[in-house]
Amino acid sequence: MVKKRRKEATPELNMKPAMNLILILIPLLLTSMEAVKIAVINVATPQIGPASVAQKPQDTPDEKPLKLTLALTDRGITVFAKDQVIENKDDPLGPTIPKIDGEEEDANGKMVEARVYDYDKLKEILVDIKSQHQAEENVIISAEPNIKYEYIIHIMDISRESKEGKKKKTMFPNVVLSAGVA
Amino acid sequence: MSEDKKTFEYIPDNYEEEMLKRRQKARMKKVKDEEIFDLNINSLMDILTIMLVFLLKSYATDPVNIIPSSELEIPKTTSHISPAATVSITVAKSSIVVDNQPVLIVKDGKVDASQKRGGEDGYFIVPLNKVLVAAAEKKRKLAAYNPTVKFEGIATLVMDKETPYRLLTEIMYTAGQAEFNKFKFAAIAGDPADG
Repeated sequence: MVKKRRKEATPELNMKPAMNLILILIPLLLTSMEAVKIAVINVATPQIGPASVAQKPQDTPDEKPLKLTLALTDRGITVFAKDQVIENKDDPLGPTIPKIDGEEEDANGKMVEARVYDYDKLKEILVDIKSQHQAEENVIISAEPNIKYEYIIHIMDISRESKEGKKKKTMFPNVVLSAGVA
Repeated sequence: MSEDKKTFEYIPDNYEEEMLKRRQKARMKKVKDEEIFDLNINSLMDILTIMLVFLLKSYATDPVNIIPSSELEIPKTTSHISPAATVSITVAKSSIVVDNQPVLIVKDGKVDASQKRGGEDGYFIVPLNKVLVAAAEKKRKLAAYNPTVKFEGIATLVMDKETPYRLLTEIMYTAGQAEFNKFKFAAIAGDPADG
């Protein structure tokens, strides 16, 4: 008698509707789930406005603003600081950092030999400039019309922070894109 | 009397055999039924419930949802800034899409000259500007009703990695004319050096 009553007290829970719901929801959510983790880079365009807004008051009015500019061309990267080109000693007429021989992914995803940007050299020059201008955080990036977006993102990454071992150092996080190089 | 009654009942010759068979069948059926009802789905339910919670969480938190394809290969970046809910401009290999609404066609990384003000050399893409002005207006209306929402003129740009700089500047200029002057370039989080 006791046994019978205990059996009646715990009826089987009908899980079928819950299972149906879950089995429908899971494929739905799986298909809409993020496939990759997305990050963003904040970029500004040059502001056009009255001089009082555009020009910040400077502590040292005699000193020219740095106006660090990286111009990407088919031949390499030209670096400007204080409106002056940082010259390449080996080739004064060429870009500051000429392209070097390396490997690159082609349209089919295969690695092929190609002329690539010398990112290590760029990093070296930017670290050097940053050490001389600690407070500076702006960089202007410009490129020839046919330069691919991928390279621009990579240049932004390099100018934003430098890595020394495990230590990360912020360099020029404020990116401004300007009109193309003619 | 009792003998008379007996005569009315029909008992087949193989009565016992038949009954035995029937009983056996009934027992087999009972065993089968019990097997089905005894299937333990508790562990399966546990897994599914955990999965459901995990998927719901990842579904709710991401404002920009991009599925890379051959049409839209996104470059990698070392940045770790999370995307925000803004107007999104997606530039794939063959089209420009604003907030999941196709706007115009791109061919070989170029917008047709007839779609631009000033022809081939123009920067102002007319249909894109129209859509962006409408998007800005919508955001501004929303900001007027809801004080927690502000129109800050930010647009998220999702671009194929082969997009030429010229098209990028054209889109930025056109967006600038629609009062979008701050941009967030979306890319896949991860070190490009990792491949």
